[in-house]
Amino acid sequence: MKCHVPGANVKVLARTVHALARFGDELYLESLPDCILLRTLNAAESAYAMVKFNKNFFSYFNYNFYSTEDNEGLKCKISMKSALNTFKSPAHIEKQVENLEIKLDPESCKLIFQLKCRHGIVKTHFVSILDCKAMQAVYTKDSVPNRISSPQRILSDALSNFQSSDDQVTLEATSHSLILRNYIDCSIDLTKVIRTQISLKPAEFDSYLIGADTTITFSLKEFRALLTFSEALNLPLQLHFETTGRPAVFIVHNGTTFEAHFVLATTKPDNASQTTATQNTNVERNKRKDTSTLGSAKKKPHLETDISKCLDEDSHLFNFVDMPGENEINLSNKLSGSIIKDNVNGKDRIDLMDCDNIPASPAARTMIKSVFKRCFESTFDPRSIQGAVLAENSDSD
Amino acid sequence: MDSGKTLCSLLKAIQFQESAVFCALPEGLKLTVEEGKCVQASAYVPSDNFTEYHVRDDVDVMFKISIAVLSECLNIFGSGEESSLKMYYRGEGSPLLLVLQPQSMYNVMTDCEISTQTADSVLELRDEDAEEVAKLVLKAPAFLGLLADIERSCEVFELNLSPEHPNVSIVTYGMQDRSCIDMPKSSDMVQSFSCESPVTLRYQLHHIRSIMKALAISTKVVLRCSSNGLMLLQLKLEKEDQRQMFSEFYIVPLLDD
Repeated sequence: MKCHVPGANVKVLARTVHALARFGDELYLESLPDCILLRTLNAAESAYAMVKFNKNFFSYFNYNFYSTEDNEGLKCKISMKSALNTFKSPAHIEKQVENLEIKLDPESCKLIFQLKCRHGIVKTHFVSILDCKAMQAVYTKDSVPNRISSPQRILSDALSNFQSSDDQVTLEATSHSLILRNYIDCSIDLTKVIRTQISLKPAEFDSYLIGADTTITFSLKEFRALLTFSEALNLPLQLHFETTGRPAVFIVHNGTTFEAHFVLATTKPDNASQTTATQNTNVERNKRKDTSTLGSAKKKPHLETDISKCLDEDSHLFNFVDMPGENEINLSNKLSGSIIKDNVNGKDRIDLMDCDNIPASPAARTMIKSVFKRCFESTFDPRSIQGAVLAENSDSD
Repeated sequence: MDSGKTLCSLLKAIQFQESAVFCALPEGLKLTVEEGKCVQASAYVPSDNFTEYHVRDDVDVMFKISIAVLSECLNIFGSGEESSLKMYYRGEGSPLLLVLQPQSMYNVMTDCEISTQTADSVLELRDEDAEEVAKLVLKAPAFLGLLADIERSCEVFELNLSPEHPNVSIVTYGMQDRSCIDMPKSSDMVQSFSCESPVTLRYQLHHIRSIMKALAISTKVVLRCSSNGLMLLQLKLEKEDQRQMFSEFYIVPLLDD
C-alpha cells in the first residue's frame, strides 16, 4: 500500500491519531481497495474507535502498490507512541508539512511515514509493526431509537463545567431535555464531591430524536477526546445510542472523505454492585468482536430483566435523594443558567442526620449512611417493598 | 552596560550546572559551564557590548560563581524592568560587585555582592591538530523546531553529512523505531554548507538537547565538526542595538563500540 496525503489533510490525520491515542495504546491500520481504516481499542475494552479515510482523502492511493496476489488488504498494528511521534503538534503540522507519504510493504516489518516539510526537509519515520492482525468491533448505529446531532461547541462547552477529576458522565435523555451530570460512585463520600448537572434543550441541537427515554453512563476521558477531535475539525457530532448496557456510538464525518466512529460502553448508573455487573456484560459484549456473535446470549436476558428493574427503581431513588430542589430550577432555566453544583445540599442533609443519630465514634459513619438509605427506600419508594429484587440484590453483595 | 537583560537570558541558556567559570578577557567576558566532561557551554559577551570595559591584562581574571545567584541579581528589579549594570571585581578572593539601576526610576539603586570561588581548570576540548571536516550555518529558530520534534526517549543522535544529496541527514533511534530527517543544502534554513567528504557522527541526544534553550534566543547557529568528532556549535544572539552576544557549545561524540 502506498498513499499520499496532501498538506491540509495531514492535519486531519494528525488530529485523528491524537484522538485515538486518548483511547488506546495500539493503533491498527488496515488498507482496503477503496479506503484506509484506523482503529483502536482501550485496555479495558470499553472504548473503541474507528476512522475510515476514503480514497479521495488521499492525493494518490494505491492499495496494491507492491502488487501482491493477496487481495485481502494489508493489516498491521503499531504502537500508538510511534504514531504520535510521527504526528507531533497537530496545531502546527499544517504549516510545516506539505505532503505525507505512507508506505506499507507486506514483506517488510516497517510502516513508513515520510513527511515532506517546509525548507525542503524530509522526515522519515520507520515504525515497527507489532502484529499483522486486524480488529473489529460489532456494534449498531443505524437501528437505534435515540439520535442526536449536535454542533461541535455545545457539548464541550457543557463539559467544561465539570471537574477534571470526574471520570464518568451520565446522560439522561428524554424527549424534552438532555441532562448531563457527573456520575458519582456511591462508595464516595457525598460531602466531599462536587455534583454538576447541566440541562440542554432539544432546540440547542441540530436534530434531536429520542425514541425511548434512557439514561446512560460512560467514560468522560474518551468523550472529551472525541469532542476535542470534532471541535478541532469543526464538524458536528452525532450521537446514536439505545439504552444502558448497549454501546453508544459517536460519529464525526465530513460527508465525503472520512468518517470516524467512536464507540463507548455504557454502564448502568448508581449502586456499586450493579455497575460491576453491567461492566461484566460490556466486557462480554466487547469480547464478541473476536469471536463473532456468540457470547452473552445466555447471560443477557437474565441481566436485562433483573438489573434493569432495580435500575429503574434505583435511578428513581437517585432522583429523589439528590434533586428535589434542583429539578425546578433546572427545567425553568436555559443552558447557561442551569449549572448546579450542589455539594452544599448533600452536606447539609448528612449533617442533619448526624445530629439525629448521634454517632458513637467516627467509625460508625458508613453504617449510619446505610441506615439512612434503608429508611429512605422504604419511605419514599413504595415499589421497593414489594420487590424480591432488592432482597436478592443485597444477598449477592 | 545599559541593560543586563540579554546577559541574563544568555546565562539562563547555559544554566545546566550550578556554577560557571567567569573569565574576563581583554576581548570580552566569558562564562563557561561543563557537564560531565561531555558538554562545555560558554556564554561570550564581546567587550563592545559594554559602554566601558577595563580588564587588567597582567593578571588572569578568572573565578567561579553561581549562575543562579548571578542571574537572580541581574533580574532583581523583575524581568520587565530594564536596568543599567555596572560590574566590579577587585582580584582573587574578593567578591563580584554589581550595581544595578532601573531605567524607569530615579534614585533607586541596588548593590549586589556575590562571593566568588577559585576557578577550576576548564577543559580544553579544542584540538588544534584535528581539522574541520564540515561547517554548516543554519537558522536557529528552524533548527530548534527540528530538534523539538525529535522524540525525547531516543538516545542516539546520528548526524550524517555528505557533499551528495541529501546533504544533512539526522537519524534518531528510538525504542523500536527509527526516524530520519533529511535536509538538502538548498533548504531555506541552511545558509551555508561545506563538507568535502561524507562523515557520520553520533552524539547523545540528551547532550544535543542542552543547546535548545540557547537556540530559542539566538538567530543563527554555526555547526562545525572536526575530524575527531567533536562538534562545536556557535550560536549568535543579536540584540536590538545590533551588538552581538554568543554562546558556544562543545559536544563530545559517542564512541563506536
